[in-house]
Amino acid sequence: MITAIDLGLIFGLMALGVYLTFRVLDFADLTIDGSFTTGAATAATLIVAGWQPMVATLAGTALGLVAGFITGALNTWGKIHPLLAGILTQISLYSINLRIMGKANVPLLRSTTLFTPLRERGLLGTWVSVGILALVLGLFVIALVWFLSTDIGLALRATGDNEGMARAQSVNTGAMTLLGLSLSNGLVALSGALFAQYQGYADIGMGIGLIVAGLASVIIGTAIITNGRIWITVAAVVFGSIVYRLIIQAALTIPWFDPNDMKLLSAVIVVTALLLPRWDVFNRIRARSRDKQSVFDPWGDPDPEEVDSGDARPPSTGIVKKVKRADA
Amino acid sequence: MLEVRHVTKAFFPRTINEKIALRDISLTLQSGDFATIIGSNGAGKSTLLNVVAGRYRPDLGSVWIDDDDVTRLPDYRVARKVGRVFQDPMAGTSPHLTIEENLAIAWARNRGRGLRLGVSHARREQFREELKILELGLENRLTARVGLLSGGQRQALSLVMAAFTQPRILLLDEHTAALDPQRAALITRLTKQMVERYELTAMMVTHNMEQALTLGNRLLMMHEGQIIFELHDEAKKKATTADLMAEFEKLKGVQLSDRTLLA
Ligand SMILES: Nc1ncnc2c1ncn2[C@@H]1O[C@H](COP(=O)(O)OP(=O)(O)OP(=O)(O)O)[C@@H](O)[C@H]1O
Ligand SMILES: [Mg+2]
Repeated sequence: MITAIDLGLIFGLMALGVYLTFRVLDFADLTIDGSFTTGAATAATLIVAGWQPMVATLAGTALGLVAGFITGALNTWGKIHPLLAGILTQISLYSINLRIMGKANVPLLRSTTLFTPLRERGLLGTWVSVGILALVLGLFVIALVWFLSTDIGLALRATGDNEGMARAQSVNTGAMTLLGLSLSNGLVALSGALFAQYQGYADIGMGIGLIVAGLASVIIGTAIITNGRIWITVAAVVFGSIVYRLIIQAALTIPWFDPNDMKLLSAVIVVTALLLPRWDVFNRIRARSRDKQSVFDPWGDPDPEEVDSGDARPPSTGIVKKVKRADA
Repeated sequence: MLEVRHVTKAFFPRTINEKIALRDISLTLQSGDFATIIGSNGAGKSTLLNVVAGRYRPDLGSVWIDDDDVTRLPDYRVARKVGRVFQDPMAGTSPHLTIEENLAIAWARNRGRGLRLGVSHARREQFREELKILELGLENRLTARVGLLSGGQRQALSLVMAAFTQPRILLLDEHTAALDPQRAALITRLTKQMVERYELTAMMVTHNMEQALTLGNRLLMMHEGQIIFELHDEAKKKATTADLMAEFEKLKGVQLSDRTLLA
């Protein structure tokens, strides 16, 4: 249970990255399956090669930034559709990650990692590790909220919210897409680098389907805590990541369930999180504590009424339907 | 100062769908000029504004703002000098950001963007002052999300955002067309105030002849991609909607005779 919170916090960084692209930038970025592993692979390989764990972690993060930049470049300069741009980078990263590691699995058990001090004292998976990770995540949440409140951050948000308006306000939307994707994948790679050190190895398949976990965290977090304020939303994403790991953890206690069923389970969780609002479950839960407000779910296919009224964009133009509604 | 030099713009050039939207248009606005533009649907008014704003590249000719050639600049670069309000009240603002955040984005339009806080205390006070002019009470709702505002309120906000940074050129494309008569009158009044207050050089497209006559010191009538009729200061003051209608009628006559000639 406490280990699940640890993991939720580590993967919280990844969820922040997903939030940055899918929600803030409205860019369905599939790079992260690859860049997560890139972060892990780079950090693990460098640590085994004797590098300082901190430096190795930063190196992994930097490669993630580059991966995001490449997806952004494919989209803004190459005019390739966001989904395809992400898939192209992701699939290239699979080969690159194998090159980095030289094999499919790099164990870290005998190396000194960022978590070694905690592990040696038997503090991993205790409230101490949770406290330390929560502190780190808190710093990232503060930094991200601050960034999104600066002039550049506002320009980034406007790019995802109303691109035409952003350009009319002299925002270089292409540059914002590059910046947002780089930052996002940097966060994802950092998350991967930390996770590899936490579990004690990097593996070529560790990023597969990760996007689903990221989406689940964002959806769960923002569905439970609905509030327009940016810092609450950002914190909610990390919270969603923890909830997601707890759900997974709980599911794994079911006797016939084994870890290989996780991917299926993660997809089921996302589907459930998407469908629950339509069945009004979240609404009823929330109605008890706060005043009632209708839930508008930005992930589903827009109804024709919503498209005609200008509330939403046709489904072909983006993954997240564009909403101009008050309660979105 | 704005100069449009011999601009021609065709859509789908050299295809069966070719549509020449602007034909060798030239136009000079002196600093402080406020030109209203009228003309039938498809006359090329919006195209002209889009060319000035750098959104469309002209096929021939050039656009100059303050003696700088901006013809080949991307639209977001031109936007440093040009403020725009669109016909669609939803187009000019960012719905998920708050009123003050929207204003902060506009504030940075011609100042560049860095890692300073978008809404600082000092800026918030400035935004409050700017919004007071509207007399819509928006100054008390700085942290409300713009998506919560009505179309008229959003259009008023768009106008402030376009104007308060004192752009070299202000472009207004039927920006009152989507509003009810009362709101339209309000936005028209605010437009006049803003242009006077900041001494802006402006171009405004409208289908409302009265509005075209009462606002501004110049009037341009466009037809089939050309400016076919112009009124300046004194002449504009004296003109009536009946005069404008007469000009339109003349056009129809010309068209008719053209067609009869061709037939
Ligand atoms: N993006 C475009 N693609 C193709 N053709 C266009 C485009 N925009 C405008 N046109 C064509 O160019 C001509 C001029 O259009 P424009 O929008 O400038 O007219 P307008 O004077 O603004 O008309 P309205 O009063 O209806 O707004 C029209 O014939 C139109 O069909
Ligand atoms: Mg038009």
